[in-house]
Amino acid sequence: MTGATAAPMLEIDRVAKRYGETVAVADVSFTIEKGEFIALMGPSGCGKTTTLRMIAGLDVPSDGEIRLWGRRINEDAPWEREAPLVWQNYALFPFLSVVKNVEFGLKQRGLPAAERRRKAMEWMERLGIAGFADRGVDQLSGGQRQRVALARALALEPEMLLLDEPLSALDPHLRVRMQSELVRLHRELGITFVCVTHSHSEAFAMADRVVIMSEGRVQQIGAPREIYRRASNRFVAEFVGGNNLFSGTASGAGEGMVRVDGPFGSALAPRPTDVEILDGQAVTLVVAADRIDLAAAPSGAGNEVEARVVTLEFVGSSVTVFLETTGGAELRVQRSLHQIENTPLSPGQAVFARWAQAEGFFLPA
Amino acid sequence: MSDATSIQTPPPSASAKASRLRFAAFWGLPPLLWQLAFFVVPLGFLVAMTFWSVKSFRLTPDATLANWIFILNAGFFRNAYIYTFWLAGLTALLASLIAFPASYAMAFLLKPATRRFLVFMLVVPFFTSYPVRIYSTQIFFSPQGIINAVIAPLGLGPISVLNSPAGTVVGYLVLTLPLVVLLQTFALGNVPRTLIEAAHNLGCGRLRTILTVIVPSARVGLIVAATFAFVLAFGDYVAPVYLGGSKPPTLSILIADQVKSGNNWPRASVVAVVMIVTLIIVMTAMLALAYGRKGARR
Repeated sequence: MTGATAAPMLEIDRVAKRYGETVAVADVSFTIEKGEFIALMGPSGCGKTTTLRMIAGLDVPSDGEIRLWGRRINEDAPWEREAPLVWQNYALFPFLSVVKNVEFGLKQRGLPAAERRRKAMEWMERLGIAGFADRGVDQLSGGQRQRVALARALALEPEMLLLDEPLSALDPHLRVRMQSELVRLHRELGITFVCVTHSHSEAFAMADRVVIMSEGRVQQIGAPREIYRRASNRFVAEFVGGNNLFSGTASGAGEGMVRVDGPFGSALAPRPTDVEILDGQAVTLVVAADRIDLAAAPSGAGNEVEARVVTLEFVGSSVTVFLETTGGAELRVQRSLHQIENTPLSPGQAVFARWAQAEGFFLPA
Repeated sequence: MSDATSIQTPPPSASAKASRLRFAAFWGLPPLLWQLAFFVVPLGFLVAMTFWSVKSFRLTPDATLANWIFILNAGFFRNAYIYTFWLAGLTALLASLIAFPASYAMAFLLKPATRRFLVFMLVVPFFTSYPVRIYSTQIFFSPQGIINAVIAPLGLGPISVLNSPAGTVVGYLVLTLPLVVLLQTFALGNVPRTLIEAAHNLGCGRLRTILTVIVPSARVGLIVAATFAFVLAFGDYVAPVYLGGSKPPTLSILIADQVKSGNNWPRASVVAVVMIVTLIIVMTAMLALAYGRKGARR
């Protein structure tokens, strides 16, 4: 196998990282294609940052192999790699001016002074910080520092950019702006972005593919929509939010359908093709909160569950309605503000929650 | 937003301010008085004495500039001044360079427990009085001393260090090295690890990172450590006498000589005041270098 034609850009192959007794990364495998925007997402301590650090060479894997274009890079020193990192706290050099910070990597590569100044200024222009060239980094705001950190990394014109929680230190409105700016940069540059984040909204908004991690292992890899619509296990279904997890008992319900009865009520859902569900088996049925309708009266179509409104939570233009079914199970429904304004709901009100049978899917055991 | 106006911090009342002042005075006054009594007053006395005269070996209050004119014009004083300044500067430089690898290892390479033990070991020399340590150094460097005994079978030596400027510098290093290593270790320990990793990540190798990131980041601490070495060496009397053999004399030896030969306290005071002024200038310059905004960013 000499032809690297089929090889993905970066392969993380059964990689583990242990510090003495502590396991930071237990067993992680995934691949990254050239030009992809990959998000590593998970709660703190899930091993996402350690994985990123191993890609950068700042940590050496205890087990497994990391390959770049098919070549093992486990032991390559960080300074031998081309994978600049944008740090959570930016890690700008306080003893250097802004432009010297941006030039830093180019200087290490031995570029002549005039050449690196030109390149640095180009990138600073592009990121809108050219006016701060001669300032100290301590004279910049958080958002400006973020741009300096980006310019410093991108000035190297790498084929892969690493980002460690790049937005977490910014205030919310700046975060949203920077988010779309990162997406735009990624599209324009066509290079690979690997971004670590604990926020699913960030990951889903920016990435082509998301790697969800927990306790040092990959839980699911997929496009944001795919993960959102078809969580592969309980952890993912709960972590990405916006899902209802109904537990109940399965029974046969005709060709290709399963009936589930539980505290939430009862519902039909398509019988999964990959796993077998036996009659009487305990199962978890997942229904996305934004796929459920609320109505005052039953219609007789699809799945219908009787419930009472407990409370409403308004977040911007979307509203989460928290309900309790007659059987005592929690139920959440996501509506747009517009919909709620058209048909007002108030706590204590009795409603019917309704969803199409095809919307439900089962978690594996 | 409307309630933001209702929760304003009240302006500090006059009584609160007075109570804060009393609190500060209570804790601040004792050290202030101590410094006044045992540093400022004697210093004033020292300065005053430079204008006194000595008549038939007896100290007489006076208002003459004769001592200043004599000392500042004396060739032996100028030579001793240049020699002392040069040797103290050399010591600051040598101590900083010799200490750096050790400090680097302690700050970055060793486990915290090992580092704590070594920090303790660096404080131990201060348990013993400094002259005792200088005497023990003599045993190493004397003509039939330990070092010559060790290197003789290797066909080396004998080396003669005692009674030379080299002996003085060795003594200065005995005095300053532990402190310089301690100060440098603390300075390097405060360098943010992410800055070092960021340098590595941007293609800067380990050795180069020391010069481009670690030294600039720890600049204040490193300069303070060197300044301490200079200050300690510049005023030291023990090393130049017992290891340097008083040849050539340093300023501290000059002070002793002025007193011993002819009881000339006023001239000794002139030398002492010149030394104090020198140290104030050196420290100011070093602190400007350490904290200076212009030098802070290139």
